[in-house]
Amino acid sequence: MLEISDLCAGYDGVPALRSVDFRVGRGERVAILGPNGAGKTTLLKAISGTVAADSGSISFEDRDLLSQAPHRRVEAGIVHVPQGRMIFASMTVADNLRLGSHRSIARDRHDERRDLVLEIFPALAGMLNRDGGALSGGQQQMLAVARGVMACPRLLMLDEPSMGLAPRAADDIFEGIARLLESETTAMIVVEQRAHEALHICDRAFVLESGEVALEATSRELLADERLAAAYLGAEI
Amino acid sequence: MVEFLQFLVPGILIGGVYALLASGLGLIFGVMRVVNFAQADFMMLAMYLSWALFAGGFGLDPFLAVPAVFVVFLLLGMAVHWLFIRFVIGQRENHDAQVILTIGLGLIFQNLILIRYSSEPRVVAPAYANEGDFIGDIFISRVRLYAFLLSLLVAALLFLFLNRTGTGRAIRAASENWEAATYMGIDIDRTNRIAFGVGVALTAVGGAALVTFQSITPFVGFRFVVVMFAAVVLGGLGSVSGAFVGGVLIGIIQSVSQVWTSAAVKNVWVFALFLLILYVRPNGLFGKVQRAI
Repeated sequence: MLEISDLCAGYDGVPALRSVDFRVGRGERVAILGPNGAGKTTLLKAISGTVAADSGSISFEDRDLLSQAPHRRVEAGIVHVPQGRMIFASMTVADNLRLGSHRSIARDRHDERRDLVLEIFPALAGMLNRDGGALSGGQQQMLAVARGVMACPRLLMLDEPSMGLAPRAADDIFEGIARLLESETTAMIVVEQRAHEALHICDRAFVLESGEVALEATSRELLADERLAAAYLGAEI
Repeated sequence: MVEFLQFLVPGILIGGVYALLASGLGLIFGVMRVVNFAQADFMMLAMYLSWALFAGGFGLDPFLAVPAVFVVFLLLGMAVHWLFIRFVIGQRENHDAQVILTIGLGLIFQNLILIRYSSEPRVVAPAYANEGDFIGDIFISRVRLYAFLLSLLVAALLFLFLNRTGTGRAIRAASENWEAATYMGIDIDRTNRIAFGVGVALTAVGGAALVTFQSITPFVGFRFVVVMFAAVVLGGLGSVSGAFVGGVLIGIIQSVSQVWTSAAVKNVWVFALFLLILYVRPNGLFGKVQRAI
Protein backbone atom coordinates (compact mmCIF):
# COMPACT_ATOMS: atom_id res chain seq x y z
CA MET A 1 0.00 0.00 0.00
CA LEU A 2 2.71 2.48 1.06
CA GLU A 3 6.23 1.94 -0.27
CA ILE A 4 9.14 4.13 0.69
CA SER A 5 12.58 3.51 -0.68
CA ASP A 6 15.90 5.20 -0.15
CA LEU A 7 14.19 8.27 1.31
CA CYS A 8 16.36 11.19 2.41
CA ALA A 9 14.83 14.35 3.91
CA GLY A 10 15.82 17.10 6.28
CA TYR A 11 15.63 20.74 7.25
CA ASP A 12 17.74 23.44 5.61
CA GLY A 13 20.34 20.98 4.45
CA VAL A 14 20.56 19.13 7.77
CA PRO A 15 19.56 15.50 7.10
CA ALA A 16 16.88 14.01 9.38
CA LEU A 17 16.24 10.85 7.35
CA ARG A 18 19.01 8.88 5.67
CA SER A 19 18.15 6.33 3.03
CA VAL A 20 15.02 5.01 4.75
CA ASP A 21 13.21 1.98 3.33
CA PHE A 22 9.75 1.44 4.77
CA ARG A 23 6.48 -0.16 3.77
CA VAL A 24 2.97 -0.60 5.10
CA GLY A 25 0.62 -3.25 3.74
CA ARG A 26 -3.12 -2.85 3.27
CA GLY A 27 -4.83 -2.80 6.67
CA GLU A 28 -1.51 -3.23 8.46
CA ARG A 29 -0.68 -1.39 11.70
CA VAL A 30 2.92 -0.30 12.06
CA ALA A 31 4.69 1.36 14.98
CA ILE A 32 7.66 3.65 14.52
CA LEU A 33 9.77 3.75 17.63
CA GLY A 34 13.00 5.37 18.61
CA PRO A 35 14.57 8.13 20.66
CA ASN A 36 13.90 11.84 20.28
CA GLY A 37 15.46 13.28 17.16
CA ALA A 38 15.54 9.92 15.39
CA GLY A 39 13.49 11.24 12.45
CA LYS A 40 10.10 9.70 13.30
CA THR A 41 8.07 12.90 12.88
CA THR A 42 10.05 13.86 9.78
CA LEU A 43 9.16 10.50 8.22
CA LEU A 44 5.42 11.17 8.75
CA LYS A 45 5.76 14.74 7.45
CA ALA A 46 7.57 13.49 4.36
CA ILE A 47 4.69 11.08 3.72
CA SER A 48 2.04 13.79 4.19
CA GLY A 49 4.08 16.31 2.21
CA THR A 50 4.80 19.05 4.74
CA VAL A 51 8.52 18.20 4.60
CA ALA A 52 10.03 17.87 1.14
CA ALA A 53 12.02 14.76 0.30
CA ASP A 54 15.60 15.37 -0.88
CA SER A 55 15.77 12.06 -2.71
CA GLY A 56 14.21 8.61 -2.84
CA SER A 57 10.64 7.67 -3.58
CA ILE A 58 7.28 7.34 -1.85
CA SER A 59 4.38 5.60 -3.53
CA PHE A 60 0.86 4.96 -2.28
CA GLU A 61 -1.28 2.36 -4.02
CA ASP A 62 1.37 2.26 -6.76
CA ARG A 63 1.07 6.02 -7.41
CA ASP A 64 3.98 8.38 -6.91
CA LEU A 65 3.32 10.66 -3.93
CA LEU A 66 6.27 13.02 -4.14
CA SER A 67 4.85 14.84 -7.15
CA GLN A 68 1.55 15.47 -5.34
CA ALA A 69 0.69 18.47 -3.15
CA PRO A 70 -0.19 17.71 0.50
CA HIS A 71 -3.94 18.20 -0.02
CA ARG A 72 -3.87 15.69 -2.89
CA ARG A 73 -2.29 13.14 -0.56
CA VAL A 74 -5.15 13.62 1.90
CA GLU A 75 -7.56 13.22 -0.99
CA ALA A 76 -5.81 9.90 -1.75
CA GLY A 77 -6.60 8.80 1.83
CA ILE A 78 -3.41 9.57 3.78
CA VAL A 79 -4.47 11.35 6.96
CA HIS A 80 -1.94 12.73 9.43
CA VAL A 81 -2.79 13.45 13.08
CA PRO A 82 0.17 15.66 13.94
CA GLN A 83 2.28 15.90 17.03
CA GLY A 84 1.04 18.57 19.44
CA ARG A 85 -2.62 18.01 18.38
CA MET A 86 -2.94 21.16 16.27
CA ILE A 87 -6.65 21.40 16.85
CA PHE A 88 -8.33 24.65 15.82
CA ALA A 89 -8.58 26.25 19.24
CA SER A 90 -10.94 29.10 18.30
CA MET A 91 -13.39 26.78 16.55
CA THR A 92 -15.94 24.50 18.17
CA VAL A 93 -15.47 20.76 18.52
CA ALA A 94 -18.24 20.31 15.92
CA ASP A 95 -16.43 22.60 13.46
CA ASN A 96 -13.15 20.79 14.08
CA LEU A 97 -14.89 17.51 13.23
CA ARG A 98 -16.48 19.07 10.16
CA LEU A 99 -13.05 20.19 8.97
CA GLY A 100 -11.89 16.62 9.49
CA SER A 101 -14.38 15.56 6.84
CA HIS A 102 -13.08 18.08 4.30
CA ARG A 103 -11.88 15.19 2.10
CA SER A 104 -14.45 14.83 -0.67
CA ILE A 105 -15.33 11.20 0.02
CA ALA A 106 -15.88 12.03 3.72
CA ARG A 107 -18.25 14.98 3.22
CA ASP A 108 -21.27 12.84 2.42
CA ARG A 109 -20.49 10.52 5.32
CA HIS A 110 -20.06 13.28 7.91
CA ASP A 111 -22.96 12.32 10.19
CA GLU A 112 -22.14 8.62 10.10
CA ARG A 113 -18.46 9.29 10.88
CA ARG A 114 -19.33 11.73 13.66
CA ASP A 115 -21.47 9.04 15.31
CA LEU A 116 -18.52 6.65 15.03
CA VAL A 117 -15.97 9.01 16.61
CA LEU A 118 -18.36 9.93 19.42
CA GLU A 119 -18.73 6.21 20.08
CA ILE A 120 -14.94 5.83 20.18
CA PHE A 121 -14.44 8.93 22.32
CA PRO A 122 -17.72 9.38 24.25
CA ALA A 123 -16.15 12.20 26.31
CA LEU A 124 -16.48 14.48 23.26
CA ALA A 125 -20.22 13.93 22.90
CA GLY A 126 -21.25 16.62 25.36
CA MET A 127 -18.72 19.15 24.10
CA LEU A 128 -19.64 19.66 20.47
CA ASN A 129 -20.39 23.35 20.96
CA ARG A 130 -17.37 24.09 23.11
CA ASP A 131 -14.29 25.81 21.62
CA GLY A 132 -11.41 23.42 21.01
CA GLY A 133 -9.14 25.63 23.07
CA ALA A 134 -11.37 25.15 26.12
CA LEU A 135 -10.79 21.38 26.25
CA SER A 136 -8.27 19.64 28.51
CA GLY A 137 -5.09 18.21 26.97
CA GLY A 138 -6.52 14.71 26.89
CA GLN A 139 -9.79 15.87 25.32
CA GLN A 140 -7.86 17.88 22.72
CA GLN A 141 -5.89 14.76 21.80
CA MET A 142 -9.16 12.80 21.50
CA LEU A 143 -10.45 15.54 19.22
CA ALA A 144 -7.27 15.44 17.12
CA VAL A 145 -7.58 11.66 16.61
CA ALA A 146 -11.34 11.92 16.04
CA ARG A 147 -10.80 14.65 13.44
CA GLY A 148 -8.41 12.35 11.59
CA VAL A 149 -10.91 9.48 11.70
CA MET A 150 -13.60 11.79 10.24
CA ALA A 151 -11.68 11.82 6.93
CA CYS A 152 -12.34 8.08 6.28
CA PRO A 153 -8.58 7.48 6.08
CA ARG A 154 -7.08 4.60 4.14
CA LEU A 155 -3.82 5.20 5.99
CA LEU A 156 -4.05 6.93 9.37
CA MET A 157 -0.81 8.36 10.77
CA LEU A 158 -0.73 9.19 14.48
CA ASP A 159 2.25 11.20 15.73
CA GLU A 160 2.84 10.83 19.47
CA PRO A 161 -0.82 10.54 20.51
CA SER A 162 0.11 10.31 24.20
CA MET A 163 2.64 13.14 24.25
CA GLY A 164 2.26 15.49 27.22
CA LEU A 165 -0.68 13.61 28.70
CA ALA A 166 -1.15 12.25 32.21
CA PRO A 167 -1.03 8.42 32.29
CA ARG A 168 -4.79 8.13 32.74
CA ALA A 169 -5.51 10.44 29.78
CA ALA A 170 -2.97 8.56 27.65
CA ASP A 171 -4.70 5.29 28.55
CA ASP A 172 -8.02 6.78 27.39
CA ILE A 173 -6.46 7.69 24.05
CA PHE A 174 -5.06 4.21 23.50
CA GLU A 175 -8.37 2.63 24.52
CA GLY A 176 -10.09 4.84 21.94
CA ILE A 177 -7.58 3.86 19.25
CA ALA A 178 -8.08 0.20 20.13
CA ARG A 179 -11.87 0.62 19.77
CA LEU A 180 -11.30 2.31 16.42
CA LEU A 181 -9.17 -0.56 15.17
CA GLU A 182 -11.89 -3.04 16.10
CA SER A 183 -14.38 -1.30 13.81
CA GLU A 184 -12.10 -0.08 10.98
CA THR A 185 -9.81 -1.88 8.58
CA THR A 186 -7.72 1.18 7.87
CA ALA A 187 -3.94 0.90 7.78
CA MET A 188 -2.14 2.84 10.49
CA ILE A 189 1.28 4.18 11.38
CA VAL A 190 1.84 5.16 15.02
CA VAL A 191 4.84 7.14 16.19
CA GLU A 192 4.98 6.76 19.95
CA GLN A 193 7.35 7.04 22.90
CA ARG A 194 5.24 4.61 24.94
CA ALA A 195 6.54 1.62 23.04
CA HIS A 196 4.62 -0.97 25.01
CA GLU A 197 1.21 0.52 24.18
CA ALA A 198 2.18 1.04 20.55
CA LEU A 199 3.38 -2.54 20.11
CA HIS A 200 0.15 -3.89 21.58
CA ILE A 201 -1.98 -2.20 18.92
CA CYS A 202 0.42 -2.76 15.99
CA ASP A 203 1.48 -5.75 13.90
CA ARG A 204 5.00 -4.63 13.15
CA ALA A 205 7.52 -2.04 14.31
CA PHE A 206 10.40 -0.09 12.87
CA VAL A 207 13.03 1.39 15.13
CA LEU A 208 14.63 4.58 13.83
CA GLU A 209 17.97 5.80 15.11
CA SER A 210 19.70 8.94 13.80
CA GLY A 211 17.51 8.98 10.72
CA GLU A 212 18.11 5.35 9.75
CA VAL A 213 16.10 2.17 10.20
CA ALA A 214 17.97 0.30 12.93
CA LEU A 215 15.53 -2.59 13.30
CA GLU A 216 12.40 -4.01 11.76
CA ALA A 217 10.53 -6.71 13.65
CA THR A 218 7.05 -7.93 14.41
CA SER A 219 5.47 -6.60 17.57
CA ARG A 220 5.30 -10.13 18.88
CA GLU A 221 9.08 -10.56 18.42
CA LEU A 222 9.88 -7.31 20.15
CA LEU A 223 7.54 -7.96 23.05
CA ALA A 224 8.85 -11.52 23.50
CA ASP A 225 12.58 -10.90 23.19
CA GLU A 226 13.72 -8.92 26.22
CA ARG A 227 17.29 -8.58 24.94
CA LEU A 228 16.12 -7.13 21.62
CA ALA A 229 13.69 -4.78 23.33
CA ALA A 230 16.25 -3.65 25.88
CA ALA A 231 18.85 -3.02 23.17
CA TYR A 232 16.61 -0.90 20.99
CA LEU A 233 13.88 0.41 23.22
CA GLY A 234 15.55 0.77 26.60
CA ALA A 235 13.90 -0.38 29.79
CA GLU A 236 10.43 0.68 28.76
CA ILE A 237 9.25 -2.66 27.39
CA MET B 1 -27.20 66.30 24.09
CA VAL B 2 -28.78 66.89 20.68
CA GLU B 3 -25.54 68.34 19.39
CA PHE B 4 -23.66 65.27 20.67
CA LEU B 5 -26.10 62.91 18.95
CA GLN B 6 -25.88 65.02 15.80
CA PHE B 7 -22.20 64.05 15.65
CA LEU B 8 -22.51 60.54 17.09
CA VAL B 9 -25.01 59.25 14.51
CA PRO B 10 -22.96 60.26 11.42
CA GLY B 11 -19.91 58.83 13.19
CA ILE B 12 -21.59 55.46 13.53
CA LEU B 13 -22.77 55.60 9.90
CA ILE B 14 -19.33 56.42 8.44
CA GLY B 15 -17.79 53.97 10.92
CA GLY B 16 -19.77 51.20 9.25
CA VAL B 17 -18.07 51.99 5.94
CA TYR B 18 -14.64 52.16 7.63
CA ALA B 19 -15.46 48.76 9.10
CA LEU B 20 -16.06 47.33 5.66
CA LEU B 21 -12.83 48.83 4.32
CA ALA B 22 -10.85 47.48 7.26
CA SER B 23 -12.42 44.02 7.37
CA GLY B 24 -11.03 43.28 3.90
CA LEU B 25 -7.55 44.23 5.02
CA GLY B 26 -8.02 42.25 8.24
CA LEU B 27 -9.16 39.14 6.38
CA ILE B 28 -6.12 39.17 4.10
CA PHE B 29 -3.72 39.67 6.99
CA GLY B 30 -5.52 37.09 9.12
CA VAL B 31 -5.32 34.35 6.53
CA MET B 32 -1.95 34.87 4.86
CA ARG B 33 -0.11 37.38 7.05
CA VAL B 34 0.24 39.79 4.15
CA VAL B 35 0.00 43.50 4.94
CA ASN B 36 -1.56 44.67 1.70
CA PHE B 37 -0.46 48.27 1.15
CA ALA B 38 -2.42 48.29 -2.13
CA GLN B 39 -5.73 47.77 -0.31
CA ALA B 40 -6.72 51.46 -0.35
CA ASP B 41 -5.93 51.58 -4.07
CA PHE B 42 -8.26 48.67 -4.73
CA MET B 43 -10.85 50.84 -2.95
CA MET B 44 -9.96 53.72 -5.28
CA LEU B 45 -10.35 51.47 -8.35
CA ALA B 46 -13.76 50.35 -7.07
CA MET B 47 -14.82 53.98 -6.66
CA TYR B 48 -13.86 54.66 -10.28
CA LEU B 49 -15.77 51.57 -11.40
CA SER B 50 -18.88 52.81 -9.54
CA TRP B 51 -18.42 56.23 -11.08
CA ALA B 52 -18.02 54.71 -14.57
CA LEU B 53 -21.16 52.61 -14.14
CA PHE B 54 -23.09 55.66 -12.93
CA ALA B 55 -21.75 58.44 -15.16
CA GLY B 56 -20.48 56.45 -18.13
CA GLY B 57 -23.83 56.08 -19.84
CA PHE B 58 -25.19 53.19 -17.77
CA GLY B 59 -26.75 55.43 -15.13
CA LEU B 60 -26.49 52.58 -12.64
CA ASP B 61 -27.20 53.61 -9.05
CA PRO B 62 -23.99 53.10 -6.99
CA PHE B 63 -25.77 50.96 -4.39
CA LEU B 64 -27.36 48.78 -7.08
CA ALA B 65 -23.91 48.42 -8.67
CA VAL B 66 -22.48 46.82 -5.52
CA PRO B 67 -22.98 43.17 -6.63
CA ALA B 68 -21.14 43.90 -9.89
CA VAL B 69 -18.35 45.69 -8.00
CA PHE B 70 -18.05 42.74 -5.63
CA VAL B 71 -17.76 40.18 -8.42
CA VAL B 72 -15.30 42.25 -10.46
CA PHE B 73 -13.01 42.82 -7.48
CA LEU B 74 -13.33 39.24 -6.24
CA LEU B 75 -11.98 38.12 -9.61
CA LEU B 76 -9.40 40.91 -9.75
CA GLY B 77 -8.16 40.06 -6.25
CA MET B 78 -7.89 36.37 -7.11
CA ALA B 79 -6.00 37.24 -10.29
CA VAL B 80 -3.58 39.51 -8.41
CA HIS B 81 -3.00 36.74 -5.88
CA TRP B 82 -2.34 34.20 -8.64
CA LEU B 83 -0.08 36.52 -10.61
CA PHE B 84 1.92 38.10 -7.78
CA ILE B 85 1.01 37.53 -4.14
CA ARG B 86 1.37 33.74 -4.02
CA PHE B 87 5.07 34.07 -4.76
CA VAL B 88 5.77 36.01 -1.56
CA ILE B 89 3.74 33.98 0.97
CA GLY B 90 3.77 30.50 2.46
CA GLN B 91 7.00 28.58 2.61
CA ARG B 92 8.82 31.24 0.62
CA GLU B 93 7.45 33.93 2.88
CA ASN B 94 9.33 37.19 2.45
CA HIS B 95 7.96 40.23 4.27
CA ASP B 96 10.22 42.74 2.49
CA ALA B 97 9.03 41.45 -0.86
CA GLN B 98 5.39 41.67 0.32
CA VAL B 99 5.80 45.32 1.27
CA ILE B 100 7.56 46.29 -1.96
CA LEU B 101 5.15 44.29 -4.10
CA THR B 102 1.96 45.71 -2.59
CA ILE B 103 3.23 49.30 -2.50
CA GLY B 104 4.32 48.88 -6.11
CA LEU B 105 0.91 47.55 -7.13
CA GLY B 106 -0.76 50.53 -5.45
CA LEU B 107 1.49 52.97 -7.32
CA ILE B 108 0.76 51.26 -10.62
CA PHE B 109 -3.00 51.44 -9.98
CA GLN B 110 -2.79 55.15 -9.07
CA ASN B 111 -0.76 56.05 -12.13
CA LEU B 112 -2.84 54.02 -14.56
CA ILE B 113 -5.93 55.90 -13.34
CA LEU B 114 -4.05 59.20 -13.44
CA ILE B 115 -3.07 58.58 -17.08
CA ARG B 116 -6.60 57.52 -18.05
CA TYR B 117 -8.75 59.98 -16.06
CA SER B 118 -6.33 62.75 -14.89
CA SER B 119 -6.42 64.01 -11.31
CA GLU B 120 -9.70 65.87 -11.77
CA PRO B 121 -12.07 64.93 -8.94
CA ARG B 122 -15.09 62.88 -9.98
CA VAL B 123 -18.40 62.89 -8.17
CA VAL B 124 -21.23 60.40 -8.09
CA ALA B 125 -24.40 62.26 -7.23
CA PRO B 126 -27.62 60.26 -7.49
CA ALA B 127 -30.90 62.17 -7.20
CA TYR B 128 -31.16 61.45 -3.46
CA ALA B 129 -27.55 62.45 -2.69
CA ASN B 130 -28.52 65.48 -0.63
CA GLU B 131 -31.70 64.08 0.88
CA GLY B 132 -32.18 62.95 4.41
CA ASP B 133 -34.67 62.48 7.22
CA PHE B 134 -35.08 63.87 10.69
CA ILE B 135 -35.51 61.44 13.53
CA GLY B 136 -36.43 63.76 16.35
CA ASP B 137 -33.92 66.58 16.05
CA ILE B 138 -31.26 64.39 14.45
CA PHE B 139 -30.72 64.69 10.71
CA ILE B 140 -29.72 61.48 8.97
CA SER B 141 -28.23 61.67 5.49
CA ARG B 142 -29.86 59.13 3.21
CA VAL B 143 -26.68 58.09 1.35
CA ARG B 144 -24.78 57.62 4.60
CA LEU B 145 -27.65 55.57 6.01
CA TYR B 146 -27.70 53.39 2.88
CA ALA B 147 -23.91 52.98 3.10
CA PHE B 148 -24.20 51.89 6.74
CA LEU B 149 -27.02 49.43 6.01
CA LEU B 150 -24.97 48.02 3.14
CA SER B 151 -22.05 47.52 5.54
CA LEU B 152 -24.29 45.65 7.99
CA LEU B 153 -25.65 43.45 5.21
CA VAL B 154 -22.17 42.63 3.90
CA ALA B 155 -20.92 41.94 7.43
CA ALA B 156 -23.81 39.51 7.99
CA LEU B 157 -23.10 37.76 4.67
CA LEU B 158 -19.39 37.58 5.54
CA PHE B 159 -20.25 36.02 8.90
CA LEU B 160 -22.44 33.41 7.20
CA PHE B 161 -19.77 32.72 4.57
CA LEU B 162 -17.00 32.21 7.15
CA ASN B 163 -19.10 30.15 9.57
CA ARG B 164 -21.61 28.24 7.48
CA THR B 165 -19.78 27.23 4.30
CA GLY B 166 -17.01 24.72 3.70
CA THR B 167 -14.82 27.32 1.99
CA GLY B 168 -15.38 29.78 4.83
CA ARG B 169 -14.43 27.17 7.42
CA ALA B 170 -11.34 26.32 5.36
CA ILE B 171 -10.36 30.01 5.36
CA ARG B 172 -10.78 30.20 9.14
CA ALA B 173 -8.80 27.01 9.59
CA ALA B 174 -5.95 28.20 7.34
CA SER B 175 -6.00 31.50 9.20
CA GLU B 176 -5.55 29.79 12.55
CA ASN B 177 -2.98 27.15 11.60
CA TRP B 178 -2.03 26.58 7.97
CA GLU B 179 -0.12 23.37 8.74
CA ALA B 180 -3.08 21.80 10.55
CA ALA B 181 -5.33 22.94 7.70
CA THR B 182 -3.01 21.16 5.27
CA TYR B 183 -3.50 17.93 7.22
CA MET B 184 -7.27 18.36 6.75
CA GLY B 185 -6.76 18.24 2.99
CA ILE B 186 -7.33 21.96 2.52
CA ASP B 187 -5.65 23.41 -0.56
CA ILE B 188 -3.86 26.34 1.08
CA ASP B 189 -3.00 28.10 -2.17
CA ARG B 190 -6.62 28.01 -3.34
CA THR B 191 -7.87 29.11 0.09
CA ASN B 192 -5.44 32.04 0.12
CA ARG B 193 -6.52 33.02 -3.38
CA ILE B 194 -10.20 33.06 -2.40
CA ALA B 195 -9.46 34.93 0.85
CA PHE B 196 -7.43 37.54 -1.03
CA GLY B 197 -10.24 37.94 -3.56
CA VAL B 198 -12.90 38.26 -0.84
CA GLY B 199 -10.72 40.68 1.14
CA VAL B 200 -10.21 42.92 -1.88
CA ALA B 201 -13.92 42.70 -2.76
CA LEU B 202 -14.98 43.72 0.78
CA THR B 203 -12.84 46.85 0.62
CA ALA B 204 -14.09 47.50 -2.92
CA VAL B 205 -17.70 47.38 -1.68
CA GLY B 206 -16.69 49.87 1.02
CA GLY B 207 -15.33 52.09 -1.75
CA ALA B 208 -18.57 51.75 -3.71
CA ALA B 209 -20.48 52.79 -0.58
CA LEU B 210 -18.26 55.87 -0.18
CA VAL B 211 -18.69 57.34 -3.67
CA THR B 212 -22.00 59.02 -2.94
CA PHE B 213 -20.40 61.39 -0.40
CA GLN B 214 -16.69 61.30 -1.22
CA SER B 215 -15.16 62.77 -4.38
CA ILE B 216 -12.85 60.46 -6.31
CA THR B 217 -9.25 61.09 -7.39
CA PRO B 218 -6.42 58.65 -8.13
CA PHE B 219 -4.99 59.44 -4.68
CA VAL B 220 -8.18 59.16 -2.63
CA GLY B 221 -6.75 56.03 -1.03
CA PHE B 222 -4.33 58.12 1.05
CA ARG B 223 -7.29 59.57 2.95
CA PHE B 224 -8.43 56.12 4.05
CA VAL B 225 -5.32 53.99 4.27
CA VAL B 226 -4.42 55.24 7.74
CA VAL B 227 -7.97 54.67 8.97
CA MET B 228 -7.95 51.14 7.56
CA PHE B 229 -4.65 50.18 9.17
CA ALA B 230 -5.58 51.84 12.47
CA ALA B 231 -8.89 49.93 12.54
CA VAL B 232 -7.17 46.60 11.87
CA VAL B 233 -4.54 47.11 14.59
CA LEU B 234 -7.07 48.57 17.02
CA GLY B 235 -9.41 45.60 16.58
CA GLY B 236 -6.58 43.09 16.84
CA LEU B 237 -4.31 41.96 14.03
CA GLY B 238 -5.82 39.08 12.12
CA SER B 239 -9.32 39.44 13.56
CA VAL B 240 -11.97 40.35 10.97
CA SER B 241 -14.60 41.04 13.62
CA GLY B 242 -12.01 43.16 15.47
CA ALA B 243 -11.28 45.17 12.30
CA PHE B 244 -15.01 45.75 11.91
CA VAL B 245 -15.41 47.04 15.47
CA GLY B 246 -12.21 49.10 15.07
CA GLY B 247 -13.65 50.76 11.97
CA VAL B 248 -16.89 51.71 13.70
CA LEU B 249 -14.96 53.01 16.71
CA ILE B 250 -12.75 55.23 14.53
CA GLY B 251 -15.79 56.65 12.75
CA ILE B 252 -17.36 57.54 16.10
CA ILE B 253 -14.17 59.11 17.51
CA GLN B 254 -13.55 61.15 14.35
CA SER B 255 -17.06 62.51 14.44
CA VAL B 256 -17.75 62.98 18.15
CA SER B 257 -14.39 64.72 18.74
CA GLN B 258 -15.72 67.55 16.59
CA VAL B 259 -18.16 68.44 19.37
CA TRP B 260 -15.21 69.82 21.35
CA THR B 261 -12.35 70.34 18.87
CA SER B 262 -11.78 71.28 15.26
CA ALA B 263 -12.40 68.72 12.51
CA ALA B 264 -8.81 69.31 11.41
CA VAL B 265 -7.52 67.40 14.45
CA LYS B 266 -10.05 64.57 14.43
CA ASN B 267 -7.37 62.00 13.60
CA VAL B 268 -5.31 63.14 16.60
CA TRP B 269 -8.09 61.77 18.82
CA VAL B 270 -8.14 58.56 16.82
CA PHE B 271 -4.44 58.02 17.44
CA ALA B 272 -4.70 59.02 21.08
CA LEU B 273 -7.29 56.28 21.55
CA PHE B 274 -5.21 53.98 19.39
CA LEU B 275 -2.17 54.40 21.66
CA LEU B 276 -4.26 54.09 24.80
CA ILE B 277 -5.88 50.83 23.70
CA LEU B 278 -2.58 49.36 22.56
CA TYR B 279 -1.05 50.34 25.90
CA VAL B 280 -3.82 48.56 27.81
CA ARG B 281 -4.30 45.70 25.32
CA PRO B 282 -1.18 45.28 23.15
CA ASN B 283 -2.94 42.71 20.94
CA GLY B 284 -5.79 45.10 20.17
CA LEU B 285 -9.39 44.84 21.33
CA PHE B 286 -10.06 41.34 19.98
CA GLY B 287 -6.54 40.13 19.28
CA LYS B 288 -5.47 36.90 20.91
CA VAL B 289 -2.25 35.05 20.42
CA GLN B 290 -2.63 32.86 17.33
CA ARG B 291 -6.37 33.50 17.21
CA ALA B 292 -7.52 34.73 13.89
CA ILE B 293 -10.87 35.30 12.19
